Amino acid sequence: MQGRRNFLKLSAGAAIGSIAATLPGTVQAKTCGEINWNESVDVIVVGSGFAGLSAALNTKRQGMGSVLVLEKMQVIGGNSAINGGWLAIPKNPTQLAQGINDDSPEELVKDQIISGRGMQNEAALRQIANRALDAYELCIDTGVKFKEGFNIQVGGHNKARAIRTQHGTGGDITTKLYEAGVKEGVDYRLQHYIEDFIMDGQKIIGVKVRKNYRFPDLKTGSSIFIKANKAVILANGGFARNMALRAAVDPSLDPTLDCTNALGATGEVTLTAMAYGALPVHMNLIQTGHWGSPDEGGFGWSNALLSIGWHQGASISVLNGKRFMDERADRKTCSEAIMKNRNSDGSPAYPIVLFNYNNYAEDHRVTRALRDKMAWKLDSLDDIAAKFDIPADELKHSITEYNTHVKAGKDPLFNRKMDTAEVLTGPFVVSRIWPKVHYCMGGLKTDLAARVIDGRSMESIKNLYAIGEVTGGIHGEARLSSTSCLECLAMGIVVSETIKADLKGAV
Amino acid sequence: MNKLLLTALLSFVVSQGAMAGELVKMKGSTKGRVNHEFIYQDGCQSCHQGSGRKNATDSACVECHGDINSIDVDETKLAIPEANPHKSLHYNQGASCLACHGEHEKKAPVCAECHRTWFEEM
Repeated sequence: MQGRRNFLKLSAGAAIGSIAATLPGTVQAKTCGEINWNESVDVIVVGSGFAGLSAALNTKRQGMGSVLVLEKMQVIGGNSAINGGWLAIPKNPTQLAQGINDDSPEELVKDQIISGRGMQNEAALRQIANRALDAYELCIDTGVKFKEGFNIQVGGHNKARAIRTQHGTGGDITTKLYEAGVKEGVDYRLQHYIEDFIMDGQKIIGVKVRKNYRFPDLKTGSSIFIKANKAVILANGGFARNMALRAAVDPSLDPTLDCTNALGATGEVTLTAMAYGALPVHMNLIQTGHWGSPDEGGFGWSNALLSIGWHQGASISVLNGKRFMDERADRKTCSEAIMKNRNSDGSPAYPIVLFNYNNYAEDHRVTRALRDKMAWKLDSLDDIAAKFDIPADELKHSITEYNTHVKAGKDPLFNRKMDTAEVLTGPFVVSRIWPKVHYCMGGLKTDLAARVIDGRSMESIKNLYAIGEVTGGIHGEARLSSTSCLECLAMGIVVSETIKADLKGAV
Repeated sequence: MNKLLLTALLSFVVSQGAMAGELVKMKGSTKGRVNHEFIYQDGCQSCHQGSGRKNATDSACVECHGDINSIDVDETKLAIPEANPHKSLHYNQGASCLACHGEHEKKAPVCAECHRTWFEEM
């Protein structure tokens, strides 16, 4: 094919140019076409979150040869390292010890079908659920510790099946997978940014990488070419931090929305794959959480704190001191109501949430929030009015009115369910709120075995695989809590088996 | 390595008053840390892969200081015990020195992206 030959020549030119400029005296191996590869490995994994770490360790264990993980940031773990460490595992030992014997992978899939609203891929969800115990074993085997005796039912699940890591962060998993990989011979490189794929027709043969890259400056570092003999696995996560892409696929996403993700979740490798024909699906399905705080970065404590706030407390607009929504409504309804709070210049006028301090003084959700100054203990409504510049009389009037609604068990203003609401007397815990973008359900279309699909031929792109949040079409409209970690770990196992099978088929 | 550390110590003693990690003018418009003053006398190459035109890498830091888990942090200065950046629950050994430390400029540690109240600028 003419296209292929021209492309290889073009790449070779680029290679020679950049090598001459940055690596004088280096001897180049001329192993494929006219490209001067700087090095050659069997498997390249792009990204080092749950998916990448699981894929790297499992391909290594499958005997696939040399495995190289390329991470563009200065830390290992991507968004997974800062996630909440929840993992949905039907039939996990703690669940069984709690006497819950009627759960199964199929029960989990049932919940995910409801949440996916018809847009989910049932077969993919089933495959992942069926590998849940394998994913759990992978954790235990590499030394991951979970909270003892802890297994609970989280939003949208019909059974208590979510376990959580010892310290409540995905870092408990990523650090262990990474350290196991180091021991078993996986090669990890930080500050390696994927600039381009090197294709041979509908087959990926390597990557152009900016080595010593410093996020986010593309002028830093220098380009090298790394050949992938057997596979390139994309595990680069979502694109929730890419403001332009986010706005392009979902114009309703307010640009003032912060993001729960690590800074590196910018999706450029997803776009590169698309440029080579990979089929994008569900790109506009992006999950937001209405439980974010502007006073902390990332996911933070706010989500946990507001599980008290929404139920036992009230939310108030700082603009007029009034309640403005049913605090117990769903994410979308609340997000939209919150975002209507604007100053005259359009900037966010962050509403507050307040609840009684005394009943929750020892609750770790409160102690951590106060400690990290993303919530404040204030004794009176006057103090609140002063701190957040709220009209004091209006605030007092709203709370008096709210308290009568609590006593009556009815909320005539917003028809909120008042069964858990408490009369607000102070002292108070007060925090500020604004929604945050959380998860991209969309991404690259893959087959069940994690092969990336080319939209032009609807065939798989040879040697190119994708797993984790970079893939799309699995969860459908909305993803349930504690299922992403499971997906990433499980698909890291699946992809290693696929590559092994594909190589056998090729011989 | 011992020789380097001894030199570092001497240099620290000589530059009275200035704190070990303080950022001061080093060469021309380039700023640097007081405790690294002796390295500047050799030029940029010892940190910058042999040439000031290239980025510094971790190996230069590790050569003198050891790896991340072997460097003690003064735990009395931590906001909470879990805020030990050299034994991070999120990254542990999987962090580059450069994620938190800048030689020529003040840099907030990577932890401060989320835990905004735990760390001073470094």
